[in-house]
Amino acid sequence: MLDYRNLDWKLIGAVMLLTIIGVLMILSAQHYENSDYQRTYYQRQIIWFFISFIFFAVIIHLPIRMMDFSAYVFYGLSVLSLILVLFVGTSHTGATRWFSFGPINLAPSDVAKIAIVLALSRFFAYSKRPPASIRRLAVSAVLVMVPVALIIKQPDLGTSLVFFVVLFSLWFWSGLSPVWMLLILSPLISLVAASHPVIWAIYMLLLVIGLLILKPGTLFGITTAVANIGFGMVTPFLWNRLADYQKLRILAFIDPGQDPRGAGYQIIQSKIAIGSGGILGKGFLNGSQTRLDFLPERHTDFIFSVLGEELGLWGTTLVILLFGFIFYRTIRIAARCRSRFVSNMVIGAGSILFFQFIVNVGMTLGIMPVTGLALPFVSYGGTSLALCWCLIGLIVLADYHWQEY
Amino acid sequence: MERFKLSIAGREKVGLAAVFVTILFLGAGLFRLQVVQHAELAEQSENNRIRVVPIAAPRGLVLDREGRIIIDNRPSYTLSVVPAELIKGVTVPALAELIGLDTAQVHSRIRRNLVSRYQPAAVKRDIPFSTVAVLEEQSIKYPGVGYQMERVRKYTDSIGAEDFTGYVGEVSTDELDKNDSKEYRPGSMIGKKGLEKYYDYLLRGREGTEYIEVSAGGQIIGPYEGRPRIPAVPGADLTLTIDIDLQRACYQAIDTFCCGAIVAIDPRNGEILAMASYPGYDANIFSSVIPADLWEQISNDSTHPLLNRPLNGQYPPGSTVKMVVAGAALEEKLLNQYTTFTPCVGGYQFGNRFFRCWNPGGHGSLNLEHSLEQSCDVYFYQVGLKLGVDRLGDYYEQCGFGRPTGIDLPGESPGLVPNTDYYDRRYGERKWTRGLVLNTSIGQGEVLTTPLQLAQFYAGLANDGVVYRPHILKKISGPDGTEELPEPTVSFKLPFSLQSLDILREGMRMVVEGEHGTAKSQRRNWYAFGGKTGTAQNPHGDNHSWFGAIAPLENPEIAIVAIIENAGHGSEVAAPVVTGVLDYFMSKKNGLLELSAADMTEEN
Repeated sequence: MLDYRNLDWKLIGAVMLLTIIGVLMILSAQHYENSDYQRTYYQRQIIWFFISFIFFAVIIHLPIRMMDFSAYVFYGLSVLSLILVLFVGTSHTGATRWFSFGPINLAPSDVAKIAIVLALSRFFAYSKRPPASIRRLAVSAVLVMVPVALIIKQPDLGTSLVFFVVLFSLWFWSGLSPVWMLLILSPLISLVAASHPVIWAIYMLLLVIGLLILKPGTLFGITTAVANIGFGMVTPFLWNRLADYQKLRILAFIDPGQDPRGAGYQIIQSKIAIGSGGILGKGFLNGSQTRLDFLPERHTDFIFSVLGEELGLWGTTLVILLFGFIFYRTIRIAARCRSRFVSNMVIGAGSILFFQFIVNVGMTLGIMPVTGLALPFVSYGGTSLALCWCLIGLIVLADYHWQEY
Repeated sequence: MERFKLSIAGREKVGLAAVFVTILFLGAGLFRLQVVQHAELAEQSENNRIRVVPIAAPRGLVLDREGRIIIDNRPSYTLSVVPAELIKGVTVPALAELIGLDTAQVHSRIRRNLVSRYQPAAVKRDIPFSTVAVLEEQSIKYPGVGYQMERVRKYTDSIGAEDFTGYVGEVSTDELDKNDSKEYRPGSMIGKKGLEKYYDYLLRGREGTEYIEVSAGGQIIGPYEGRPRIPAVPGADLTLTIDIDLQRACYQAIDTFCCGAIVAIDPRNGEILAMASYPGYDANIFSSVIPADLWEQISNDSTHPLLNRPLNGQYPPGSTVKMVVAGAALEEKLLNQYTTFTPCVGGYQFGNRFFRCWNPGGHGSLNLEHSLEQSCDVYFYQVGLKLGVDRLGDYYEQCGFGRPTGIDLPGESPGLVPNTDYYDRRYGERKWTRGLVLNTSIGQGEVLTTPLQLAQFYAGLANDGVVYRPHILKKISGPDGTEELPEPTVSFKLPFSLQSLDILREGMRMVVEGEHGTAKSQRRNWYAFGGKTGTAQNPHGDNHSWFGAIAPLENPEIAIVAIIENAGHGSEVAAPVVTGVLDYFMSKKNGLLELSAADMTEEN
C-alpha cells in the first residue's frame, strides 16, 4: 500500500494550484458570453479536473515496473490506434482526428505522447551501444518517426514537434554530449539560416570551422556537412510546400503588424491584453480585452493572456514560478532515480510539459510563433488536462519509487 | 568527442540551467510588456474598446434680409462602414450591390474617409429610405455596415442663388492639408463655393465627440464613463442682404434668355439685394454624390451653368462705362457739360481708320449730356483721345475696375483695365497706336468688367461717389443667441466732384427720359430712374446687351446692372429686363404688391 506521506505533495500542490487558476481564468474568459454552453466551460473543466485526478491517482498506485515492461506493447497499441483513427475516426474542423465515445473525444495522438515517452525511455535504458552510435540514434529516431508520420497527416505541426522534443531530451539525458546534439541538430539550424543567403553563408563557414576543430570523425563530419547543405537547399522548396495558413502564421510571427486582422491579430491582441494588465492587472472578470471579445481563443491557447490582463504581473509571475518549480522538481527527481528507465521517463514526461509551456507562453508574449499548443494544466480542454495530469502522475510515481532499480 | 561527455550531475545542472534561463527569459518578456510597454499597450487597449463617435454640429441656416430661408438643413441618411468589422469577401460585394457601385469604388471610398479602423467611414451620403429599411431588416447580410442620420443642405432652387450660396461637399485631401486638422476630418463637409466657403468658419459650428465602448465585433456596449461627452456647437445662422423676392424677380427676368446675369446693390450701404446668373445649376445636387453623367452634362454645357457670371463673367462693358470717360474729362477740365466736338457723321476718321458710331446715320453735334443720352460713340472717341490711354486707365481703376470689389464671396475675378504697360506687354513697345484709346473710351477693346464691378460703379454714381464695399452678410446670429451686425464699410470714393456727378446723373436721366434717349421706351411715369445702355461687341458672337440703372433717381435705393449675352442692343434687351426688375422693386417699396395681387384675384 502506498505511503501517502512520501508522495511529492509540493509538486502535486503546484499542479493543483495551476489547475485551479486555470478554472478561474476559464470562468473569466467566457463569463460575458451569450451562450450558456460557453459560460459553463469552467464547470466542465472542473469535471475534467476530477477525471484527470482519478487518472493521476490510478497511475501513482500502479507498480513502477509495469511501465517498463508494458512500454513497447503500449507503443505498439498506440501506433495501431493512430492507424485506426485514420479510418474510423471522426473529423473535427477538418484538422484532427478523434475517437468519439459519446460526448468524449479521445485523440490517440495524446495517448501516443505517453507511449513515446515510455518506449524511448525503455530503449535508451537498455541499449548497450554508446550514446553517439549511429545505430542507437537512428533506431530511436525511427521510433519517433512512426507516430509522427501518422500524426503529421492530420495535420498537426505542434503535436509532431512535441515528439521530437521528447527524442532530443532523452538523447541528452541518456548521455549524448551537447556538442554531438548540436552537430546532429545543425541541419535544422541550416534550414532556418537559409532564409537569408548571407546568414547561411556565415553559418556554413562557422560550421566547417567547428567541424575542423572538433574532429568528430570523417564519416560523421561529411554527413553533417552534406546534411547542412541539403537542408539549406531544400528550405525554399519546403517553404513552398507549406499550407497558406502555416506560411501566414510564420510570417505573422516575424511581422505581426502585416496582417492585423489575420494571424497577426491574435499576437497583437494578446500583447495588448498582457501589457495593458500592467503590474496589478485590471481585476478578475474585468479585462476589457477578454470581456469585449478582442482576445481570440482566450479559454484555450490564449488563457495566459487573460491571466496577464486581469491579474497583472503578479499573476503571471506566480504562474511561471509554479511552472519553474514543477520543472525544477522534475529534473531533481530524474537525477536521483536509480533506475535508468524511470529517470528517462521523468525527463520525457517533463520535456512535454516544458515544451508546451515555453511555446504557449512565448506565443502569448509574441516571442514564439502561433502553434496551437495549450498551456499545461491551465488551458481549457479535457484530454489536454488529463494528459498533463497523467504525466505528473508518472513523475510522482517515479519519485515515490526513486530508490528502486 | 568523448571529452565533452557530461556526467549525470552535469546533465542535471544543464537541465536546471535551461529551466532557470527559460523562466528568466519569459519573465523578462513579461516585464517588457507589463512594465516597460504598459502605458502604450494600455492605451491601445483603450483604443480597442472605445470608439470615438463624432456628433455632427448642425450647420447654420442662411436667411434672406426678411428672415426667409435660403439654405435649410434636411435630414438624410449616410451609409457608412466600420472597416474593422468588415468581413472579407462578404460585406463589400453585398454592399456594392445594395447601393449600385462596384466593389472597387466602395473600397476607394472607405479608404478615402478612413479615420480609424473602428470608426465608421462614410461610403454614400443621402441614401434613400428604402436602403435604410433593407439595412435594418437584413443587417446580418451586411456586417460592419451602418447608417447615421445626418443633416444635409437644402438650397432654395430656381432663384439663381447658387452664385452666392455656393455649396458644400466632402473635404478633399488638399483642403485637409491646408486647414487646421482639428476642424476637419476625412468625411467632414466643407463649403466649396460661395458663402458656404467664405463663411464656412461661421456656418460649420464645432463637431462634438462621444465615447462609446464597443466589443471586438463592433457591438456597442454603451457610453464610456471614463471620458465625458463633448456636445456639438451649432453653426451660426446668417442673415443675408439678399431680398429673396427681388432675387426671384431678377432670375425670372433673365431665365428666358440663353445666358445672362444681374446684380442689384443698395448704393447707400453696399448691400447686395439680388445677384443672379442664368443658366445656373441646382446646388442640391452637390448634397449627395453627383451622378457622373449629370456632372458630365453640366460641365460640358456650352452655356456654362457653373460659371458664376456676376463675379467671374468678364465682359467688355460697352457704353455702360461712358460715365467713367465723361467724369474723367470733367475732372480733368477737358470739357464742361456744354462742350461739343467734331459732329458725328456716323463715325470718326482717326489716322487711316474710320471708327464707326453705333448709329450709322450720325448724331450731329451734341453736348456731353446729349451724347450720354444718345450714347454717341464719336463724341467719346474724341474725349478718349484727349484723355489718353493712361489717364483714362487711371480713372477706370479709380472707379473700381480692374481689381476685385472685395465682396464677401470667394474667387472674384478682377476684370481688366489696359494702360501703356499692358499694351507694351501685349503688343510690344511702340507696336501699338494711340488709336486703341478710342476703343477703351466706349468700353470696348481690352477693357473687361464683371457685372458686379459695374453695379458697384453705378452704386457709387447713385451715392454721391461714395462706394460701399459690396457685401451679402447682414447679420450673424450665434448659437448662444448673440447677434452681430457687420458695419458697412466705405470701399473707395469715385474720383468725381458732386458737380460732375450731377452732370453724369442728368445724362443717365436723359437716357430714359430724354427725347432721343436710348432707353426712352422704358420710361415710367410712376417713378423716375436713370440708366445707361451698353452694346458690347465681342469676338465670339453677337453683341452683349447691357443696361445699368439707378432708382429712384432723386434718392437712389438701388443700383442694378444686367447683361444678356449675345442678345443685341442694350436698349432692346437688357433695358427692359432691368426695368422689369425695377418695377418690381418700386412696387414692393411702395406697398403695391399686395394690391396688385388682390386685383388679380378679383379679376379671376
